[in-house]
Amino acid sequence: MAHPTQLGFKDAAMPVMEELLHFHDHALMIVLLISTLVLYIITAMVSTKLTNKYILDSQEIEIVWTILPAVILVLIALPSLRILYLMDEINDPHLTIKAMGHQWYWSYEYTDYENLGFDSYMVPTQDLAPGQFRLLETDHRMVVPMESPVRVLVSAEDVLHSWAVPSLGVKMDAVPGRLNQAAFIASRPGVFYGQCSEICGANHSFMPIVVEAVPLEHFENWSSLMLEDA
Amino acid sequence: QHTLEGNRDHTAVIHICLSIYLDRYFQTLYSSLTVVVLVHLSSDVDVIDCSVPQYNNRLDTPLPDVPFVRNLSSEQKKLKEKEKGSWTQLTKEEKLALYRLTHELSYAEMRQGSKEWMTVLGGVFIFLGFTGLLVWWQRVYVYGDVPHTLSQESVAQQTQRMIDMRVNPVHGFSNKWDYEKKQWK
Repeated sequence: MAHPTQLGFKDAAMPVMEELLHFHDHALMIVLLISTLVLYIITAMVSTKLTNKYILDSQEIEIVWTILPAVILVLIALPSLRILYLMDEINDPHLTIKAMGHQWYWSYEYTDYENLGFDSYMVPTQDLAPGQFRLLETDHRMVVPMESPVRVLVSAEDVLHSWAVPSLGVKMDAVPGRLNQAAFIASRPGVFYGQCSEICGANHSFMPIVVEAVPLEHFENWSSLMLEDA
Repeated sequence: QHTLEGNRDHTAVIHICLSIYLDRYFQTLYSSLTVVVLVHLSSDVDVIDCSVPQYNNRLDTPLPDVPFVRNLSSEQKKLKEKEKGSWTQLTKEEKLALYRLTHELSYAEMRQGSKEWMTVLGGVFIFLGFTGLLVWWQRVYVYGDVPHTLSQESVAQQTQRMIDMRVNPVHGFSNKWDYEKKQWK
């Protein structure tokens, strides 16, 4: 989750998210350079004492300021396309989980081996235990084994939702009647928080997503416990 | 009115030129107003006839399309005739008078700016202060209590949990906590 006053992205728990962070730095640096240049030009033009300020025709400068932005755009587009195709690579997941959006909670189904399904409701503010985060905790977390490719099939039962976990670099719209696939690998163990990212009604802000990445043995213990409870 | 008797000493010429200037100013004003009245008989709008060249004060046009004073009095016409001769014969005041005939403002006058910004800034601060008062009143009398998770104790517990959970361990939060010494770096 984000720490207080955090402005940037959360640290990545997934290799593609790391790539996205680096690309964001790259694009933002280009944007900063261009903005600084434009701001300098504006202040120079406003504060000049020269009176002949109106050039009407010049071929050289026109060529320069047509070619140069094209080059800059190519420099932005190439890493962007690389990451785009990286995200779509075949990844042969070890586990498939279905995340179904309802109004206003998520339900997860682990149906590869047994039939495990449970709902994940937000913990209301007045029921929070000391140290829990307001509007982010749920009663049941989606547990995944760490360092295993996981495929999440996202859909919805009623209206549009969106399953998003920023640290894992996942945001996938949950459209009723459609299955959307997202894949991730949790590189480090931990608890990763996210929130529903498509307006879905009154409690849209109150249906968070919590993904817990644990070693495989713990995952197996957890799934056995959940199956017994169900 | 002033007359042109006797010797033309400098003060008389200055008085003449100033009176000519003011006279011309009001005459041009009246003549432009009559143009306006002829164009729009029933409205009070300040309309310029853009189909004829206009005078303008711009830094990038040192020589406007038309001179500032269009209708010259006889003294001014005499000055213009004198201008056609050698310019070394002109006195400094005559040169200034000729400049003011063709230009309304000099470059220094065009660049000087006004003190309006202080008024604007003061008005902005007054409104910001008033808005601040409104916001404070709203905070005290309209909003309810904040959730209990924002209390000092709760925030401390949440921070401890974030450290235990290793939130943002690479660059962010947990990176700044020294786990051996159990304190912030």
